Amino acid sequence: MNLKSKSSMNTEAAAVGSRRRFLGWLTSLGLAGSGVLTAFSNFVFIKPRATYGDPQRFSVGKPEDFPAGSRMTLETRRICVVREGDKLAAISTTCTHLGCIIGLSETGFACPCHGSRFDQDGNVTGGPAPRPLPWYKVTLAPNGEIEVDKDQEVEQGTYINV
Amino acid sequence: MSPAAQPAKLKPPSPPKRSLIGWARELPDMVWHSVFRNPLPSNDVERSATSFTNFFLHIHPVKVHRNTLRPTYTFGLGLMSFFLFVILVVTGILLMFYYVPSTEQAYDRMLDLRGSVAFGTLLRNMHRWSAHGMVALVFLHMCRVFFTGSYKKPREFNWVLGVVLMLLTFGMSFTGYLLPWDQLAFWAITVGAAIAGYAPFIGNDVRFLLLGDANVGQEALLRFYVLHVAVLPAILTLLIAIHFWRIRKDGGLSRPPEPESEAPPLQMSAAAGAPVAVSVKAVQLEPRKTYGLQGLVRGPLTKVGNIPDNSVFSWPHLLMAELFTFVVTLSVILVLSLFFNAPLEEPVNVMHPPNPAKAPWYFLGLQEMVSYSAFWGGVGIPTLFVIGLMLIPYMDRSPKGVGVWFSRDRLLANTAFLTFVVVNVILVIIGTLFRGPNWAFVTPW
Repeated sequence: MNLKSKSSMNTEAAAVGSRRRFLGWLTSLGLAGSGVLTAFSNFVFIKPRATYGDPQRFSVGKPEDFPAGSRMTLETRRICVVREGDKLAAISTTCTHLGCIIGLSETGFACPCHGSRFDQDGNVTGGPAPRPLPWYKVTLAPNGEIEVDKDQEVEQGTYINV
Repeated sequence: MSPAAQPAKLKPPSPPKRSLIGWARELPDMVWHSVFRNPLPSNDVERSATSFTNFFLHIHPVKVHRNTLRPTYTFGLGLMSFFLFVILVVTGILLMFYYVPSTEQAYDRMLDLRGSVAFGTLLRNMHRWSAHGMVALVFLHMCRVFFTGSYKKPREFNWVLGVVLMLLTFGMSFTGYLLPWDQLAFWAITVGAAIAGYAPFIGNDVRFLLLGDANVGQEALLRFYVLHVAVLPAILTLLIAIHFWRIRKDGGLSRPPEPESEAPPLQMSAAAGAPVAVSVKAVQLEPRKTYGLQGLVRGPLTKVGNIPDNSVFSWPHLLMAELFTFVVTLSVILVLSLFFNAPLEEPVNVMHPPNPAKAPWYFLGLQEMVSYSAFWGGVGIPTLFVIGLMLIPYMDRSPKGVGVWFSRDRLLANTAFLTFVVVNVILVIIGTLFRGPNWAFVTPW
């Protein structure tokens, strides 16, 4: 060191300084990146891939179980199966306001919690509910049973022929 | 602290006794003095040393300003919140010995606590009433800090931490509410989780993460349990520690500025035994000078020596005040728990929501707003409230009116905050007393 001139020492010191700064940045970046990845993977971990509760897709029985013109609520499934003639559909009975279970009323559906009211097709006719009741996808399985998939919403008024 | 804080009288070590009996006779004394470095203090140096060398006391400053100890300045609200948290941790850990977070067993365990576990009812009552009390006192503590202007520089960040601590307190209450698995628990959480679902973009994901399923069920119970007994208490404990640490580092509790005449800037006296005082403005640091620890202490004034000021020794004044606050807090909770039982409703029936399905009282203001608009009442306005609260110290930058209740200089700020408080209280009262079946307006009389 003592053999070198003052200016070359300064240059070297500057080079060491910038190298250290660069390594410092690199280290911070690596640590921060690892932190973000860890947090992200934790979220992936706690988001269940399979749920242990009631399945979202299930069979509700044969078309004969639902006579024409009937509106039958399946409380454990939280749906109402509607049959008009040969047409069949499933409407949610979970209130779109705050998740209470709604029941049938003379004009359609009514929620006991905060007084939301819906018509026969699930449109809001009163109360605080912000959205109409969703309709779920219904399919006829090869074994003749009706399958409802609560993960797939369909447009209001979508029936299947049975 | 300077070397002056060391124990004044150190006995010269006596030669070890030879006989076993002699050793046994000295043992209690040896153990005692190895645990407690100082005798019970009888003078100022020992009072300093006691605060300074004891792990449990060193969170306190050696001396504390008189204003800090004025009961009508703080009403001890923050400390009471902390003591309630301590009671909650102790009773909560005890309750964990009997509780099972399972939809099959949880409710039966509640009945067991009431029927067959010794002190089960008392502990559950204490846990419940302390939880309600903590929510209320944390809110009142925030009001105290606001109305005394205590969030101002340099305490801005501690205010923000306080807001976060209040949210965590709500989170603790909310997660704890589900655990008894009775009708109230189930429907309150159903409603609460539905409110979370209204958050834009992330709402449904947040709700799903929280419940671990589409509906409130076994997964939700397990998740709420883990959050309630592990995740949230850990975060809360850490943030409480930082909250307390910042009180010290931000210069103690807020107080009105001292009149100039009371703190002479420099006072040197040659007379023997006269107080020697050197005051240093710690903010005027020079980059090229080497400083001892004293020079880095923040705050407007660093005092060395025994100058006349408005402070008293923490031992015993602050400790007595704290002990008093603790005893009062514990007594009130005990009395409440002996006379009033924590409610337990029917076991969960997912088919039949109670009508009306009400959240805990401190969320009823929220539920009242939700009944007008689910998004604005449940997500939009509360989020704006919280952001607004956190930004208060950065918006109100006037240094005036610190350390006194309802200062004239803060008329506008105090009026605005009082309005916020009153609106919240009115909403809670409406939601609690004036809402009946189908959330229709009823009168309680």
